[in-house]
Amino acid sequence: MRAIWKRELQAYFFTPVGYVFMGVFLLLSSAMFYTTIMQNRSSDLPTFIGLMSYLWMLLCPVLTMRLLAEERSRRTDQLLLTSPVSLPAVVLGKYLAAVTLMLVTVLLTGLFVLIVAIYGAVYPAELLVSYLGFVLQGCAFIALDLFLSGCAGNQVTAAVMAFGANLLLWMLDLLENAVSIAFVKEIISFLSLYTRSEPFLMGQLSFAGVGYFLSFAAAFIALTIHMLDSRRYRGA
Amino acid sequence: MIELKQVTKRYGEVAAVDGLSFTAPAGQIIGLLGQNGAGKTTTLNILTGYLPPTSGQVLVDGLDMLTNARECKRRIGYLPERPPLYDEMTVRSYLRFVCELKEVAHRAIGDHVAQIMTTCGLTEVAGRLIGHLSKGYRQRVGVAQALCGDPPVLVLDEPTVGLDPRQVVEIRSLIRELGKTHTVIFSSHMLPEIQQLCQRVIILHQGKLVQQADMAALTGAEGTHLRAIIALGQKALLPALQSLPCVQRVRVLHARREETEVLLECDPAASPDAETQLFSLLCGLNAPLRLLTPERSTLEEVFLRITANDSE
Repeated sequence: MRAIWKRELQAYFFTPVGYVFMGVFLLLSSAMFYTTIMQNRSSDLPTFIGLMSYLWMLLCPVLTMRLLAEERSRRTDQLLLTSPVSLPAVVLGKYLAAVTLMLVTVLLTGLFVLIVAIYGAVYPAELLVSYLGFVLQGCAFIALDLFLSGCAGNQVTAAVMAFGANLLLWMLDLLENAVSIAFVKEIISFLSLYTRSEPFLMGQLSFAGVGYFLSFAAAFIALTIHMLDSRRYRGA
Repeated sequence: MIELKQVTKRYGEVAAVDGLSFTAPAGQIIGLLGQNGAGKTTTLNILTGYLPPTSGQVLVDGLDMLTNARECKRRIGYLPERPPLYDEMTVRSYLRFVCELKEVAHRAIGDHVAQIMTTCGLTEVAGRLIGHLSKGYRQRVGVAQALCGDPPVLVLDEPTVGLDPRQVVEIRSLIRELGKTHTVIFSSHMLPEIQQLCQRVIILHQGKLVQQADMAALTGAEGTHLRAIIALGQKALLPALQSLPCVQRVRVLHARREETEVLLECDPAASPDAETQLFSLLCGLNAPLRLLTPERSTLEEVFLRITANDSE
């Protein structure tokens, strides 16, 4: 698993993907920082983090599109699956590589925190909880998009499918308002990754939320493993 | 040693491999021969553990591939039809990655990779990106990749397809060299290749095993033929040849007034003697022998005969 994790992480920087992800993320978050914090002379970091979390929708597909789809289209999965490495280890190694790159990028946003800390007040507990929610939400999106990368036959399809799924999850919030049946409303709000992160942004450490995000990620990783395994049996 | 027991792989209704059983004994070069679509690639994908069979069993050193995949896979190096290369990596870093996958001890990786690159002639391109290499080099990286972790069994799927003639010769001599220390199973639809390299051949046709035999037995059993050009007219020559005890049949290939080309089908048991008998006969007739070559039946004839029989 370590070998896979290492290779994937290196591959992010052998190809432009890693730079594109980090560059676009930091560029857009800087713009967000400027509009929410600098222009308003505000020190409300959780609001800024809440805004940044919309970047997951856009950028997680960039992280995941290559991971499984490319192995399939270039047949390099033949190497992985005939090596003494189990399929769960392959999937987990790839997932963790994407998560690692995301964490490094999130760490770089600490620069924004530093700027606010110099000129205003930062409440560490509140900030950490907001960041926790933010990162967990990213982990959930990566798991979903990784699954879709496994479904797709090539990178472009993988990215488009992931964008679609992410936007759908985001639109659930809008749908929830449009639907009047209480039962359906509840299902929709259960699935919404954005509703789930709200308590975190208000500084509440929600254990239900942590559990939800982690099980969301675990479920999609398990689905990915299952799907890849059953594809071997079908021989497609 | 690798053993397949009644292996079947179905894609929906179609059986790509149908009830295939064979044994690959250790230390031999074994050729898997068949036309395109005969089930060679599927067979190799199953025996390397890439695809699970629909039914049947694959045993590697007595271990079951399904229940003991890790141990089995550790013993096999596989070069698929299309080498599984990451274009954005350099040759060295790619081979290091494969070594890590194959659980080579961390300290040994550097030496191991250097040694493999020497064996496969990759040392001068070690720092180049795989995506920039020529087809021949890519194929060699593919072979090198299969050698990582020093598995006792190498499985190569059509290793010479798409290479230019010089590269084909290089890869073949590499396989021959590797065959001295490994069990090699490789597939090909090219008969001369199998004939040159293999000690044992397995012929597949439409997903089924049609022949499995030692190379020598397969081509030798057809009897020994001698092709001769003799400076004597057909009329005088033929009765004399037929009188020889070791000759079973005489076929005239080409007849001129003063020269005849014949193919003698000899009794295999008497074959070392046949040349001597022929020589003393011709001396007695005062007929100079212009050419004498042993003609063993080629694998091609055997193969065509077997597959033709099957489709009738």
